[in-house]
Amino acid sequence: MVAQYGKEPIQHQFNPYSDNGGTLLGIAGEDFAILASDTRQSVDYSINTRLSHKIKVITPDLSSEDKKNKLVGTNKSILFGTNGFSADGDALTEDFEENYKFYTSNQNKKIEPGFEFLNNGNEDKESSMTMQSAARNVQHILYGKRFFPYYVHTILAGLDEEGKGCVYSFDPVGSYEREQCRVGGAGASLIMPFLDNQVNFKNQYIPGTNSTERKKLEYLTLEECLKLVKDAFTSVTERHITVGDGLEIFIINKEGVRLEYHALKKD
Amino acid sequence: MNHDPYSWGRPTDSMYGQYNSQIANAPTSLEGNMASGANQHTTSPIVTGTSVVAIKYNNGVVMAADNLASYGSLLRFQGIERLHKVGKTTMVGISGDVSDMQYLLEILDELTIEHNYDNDEYSDNVDELQPDYIFTYLANLMYHRRTKMNPLWNALIVSGVNSKTGEPFLQYVNLLGVKYSSPSIATGFGAHLAIPLLRKLADSEEEAQKLTKEQAIQGIKDSMRVLFYRDTRSSKNYSLAVIDKDSGITYDNDVNVEDMSWKFAKDIRGYGTQKV
Amino acid sequence: MAGLSFDNHKRNEFLQSQHNVSFKTTSTGTTIVGIKFKNGVVIAADTRSTQGPIVADKNCEKLHRMAPKIWCAGAGTAADTEAVTKLIGNNMELQSLYSKREPRVVSALQNLKQHLFKYQGHLGAYLIVAGVDPTGAHLFSVQAHGSTDVGYYQSLGSGSLAAMAVLESEFKMDMTKEEAIKLASDAIEAGIWNDLGSGSNVDVCVMEIGKDAQLLRNYRTPNVREVKEKSYRFARGTTGILRTEIVAQYELDTNA
Repeated sequence: MVAQYGKEPIQHQFNPYSDNGGTLLGIAGEDFAILASDTRQSVDYSINTRLSHKIKVITPDLSSEDKKNKLVGTNKSILFGTNGFSADGDALTEDFEENYKFYTSNQNKKIEPGFEFLNNGNEDKESSMTMQSAARNVQHILYGKRFFPYYVHTILAGLDEEGKGCVYSFDPVGSYEREQCRVGGAGASLIMPFLDNQVNFKNQYIPGTNSTERKKLEYLTLEECLKLVKDAFTSVTERHITVGDGLEIFIINKEGVRLEYHALKKD
Repeated sequence: MNHDPYSWGRPTDSMYGQYNSQIANAPTSLEGNMASGANQHTTSPIVTGTSVVAIKYNNGVVMAADNLASYGSLLRFQGIERLHKVGKTTMVGISGDVSDMQYLLEILDELTIEHNYDNDEYSDNVDELQPDYIFTYLANLMYHRRTKMNPLWNALIVSGVNSKTGEPFLQYVNLLGVKYSSPSIATGFGAHLAIPLLRKLADSEEEAQKLTKEQAIQGIKDSMRVLFYRDTRSSKNYSLAVIDKDSGITYDNDVNVEDMSWKFAKDIRGYGTQKV
Repeated sequence: MAGLSFDNHKRNEFLQSQHNVSFKTTSTGTTIVGIKFKNGVVIAADTRSTQGPIVADKNCEKLHRMAPKIWCAGAGTAADTEAVTKLIGNNMELQSLYSKREPRVVSALQNLKQHLFKYQGHLGAYLIVAGVDPTGAHLFSVQAHGSTDVGYYQSLGSGSLAAMAVLESEFKMDMTKEEAIKLASDAIEAGIWNDLGSGSNVDVCVMEIGKDAQLLRNYRTPNVREVKEKSYRFARGTTGILRTEIVAQYELDTNA
């Protein structure tokens, strides 16, 4: 029997979730990846803060050279973004970060003599966590709370083992996929079709072929992607009430991770 | 999200037996009564305190909350202080359920005592309790309790200055474990009535850094006046704390709303066409 | 047939009991205010209209004319605020023509509240009624259930608390017209910045005794959109033509 609400007196029940609005967007390029989010945190019709951080750079230690260049991560960093119920987003980020620390310190342990084969022949390579492994780990964390889910849309961005840009996106209970681009959160339904069209050239045909030959897929340049990201966010700010205030764009490439901030409308 | 497993298309009880509500401790609409033996937790606050308001300035933070504890619409206790000093440079402002607040104070007391054992002037490791330590502790506690479906029914504001760096600190956490920081923060009604005024003073960290202590205090006092005008669960008598990088904590638990104007009210007749 | 039709009431009740459907209305979200000043009254509104979390209209008009010198700011269900002000406004014009007298703000108020009370809150109109008439300047508010309120300053809508905070701290008696316009706009701006249901621009209407009412549409525009990074014009032929059919063709005589 299916429970029928409204047929019996409604009991007051504690609701452990809230919707904190906002939008998260990831795009993978040929040798870079972008993860961007707005900085507004809201609940109902109120703005909690105009500057919250929904993306965390999970990174090996930075060199002084990196810091001098104002980089916030290395090319091995993982850009970790969550959107939805912010308390769960923060908890998930912390869970993953802990796993990351244990994993990487384990990987970099000195190998006992005679056990070099464990190292897969990469003895001099400073090891960190690959995007593939990170994604699988996030799946396990999320699915671990299958019946009391982390109410978030998660997106990871970084460089894969070949140095190619990659984006992984997750549903609240851990189903995930590697994609060229993905939008999560409040603006997802507004921006995703735009990205389908502009990044994956959906519904675009070669002129003169009368809708028979699709426009050829090709990687966009970083500059081109940044334009799309900014236009996507200024547009969704116009039409979605929970999006606005500021835009943080994290860009990862072989140099490391760079952060760009742009103001968005505050109304 | 609907937590009732019957709404997820779960097979009937005859197939797998009854759903185990101990998973996530979540009572369902069918099982959430005492007769079924499911756990019952606080589902609503009883004696409550209303808004806490706070704003950062160039050298610290100003925070205020009134001294009233209400029992529904009854003005129950008029001498309940809701701003509390923890450690040397931190104040915690608490709104919501007062019994849960007093439980939190017990915990914070214990925390400071334990901390002092290891960090007083006689020990080697002298590390003062900083606002961010206290906040992290409280935020984890609040999120943990919500995850057990047994929340502490409060919204907290932790404010202070870091005694090593002198950096002003201001952060919020509530019964869901949602946390954030902002140049100005208010709980409850204050989020609707005080924040618009405080954001006019400082809408960003940069603007807060230009704000003087006097401006910040005036902003908080103006907010408390508007809250007394418009929040039916507020009182005229309130507490005001200033946490300053140089002069430390100044705390006054007996401030009254000033400069009110009710004069024009005498000319208002009825609710429409009445003349006398 | 006059009045509202309830033909679909039973059907809708049935549909809602059987399926998880609800009938969405466009809400004006809204911050609206009204302030009395020395020689008149001013009302103001933001211009955002929403459907849930989506902005339906970025520059809508929430200031309605009920009579030349009686204006109304509306919050709540957009269609209801529009219909109810129009209906009562029209009735007032007929009344005014018949009686050969200028319409009064109190009669707008009385007509509105009696109409809204009759519908027991089902017309979601929350209004600030203001104007000047032979008895002076007046400012009222009406709630959907028909209750009314008098005061020197009023605010309504989802941003009413933000606006009221500004009004409570800055209102004073016998302001000049300019002071009143500034305060009203500042109150609306508080709603625009702090309430997610309000946004975009500020509309103002000033009604001064002995003068024509003045509508200042988009009096403040603090939310102009920045220019886009690139143009999204597609090359001609990006979408192919699959089929062409000429229904009728006419020669245009361009010299005529």
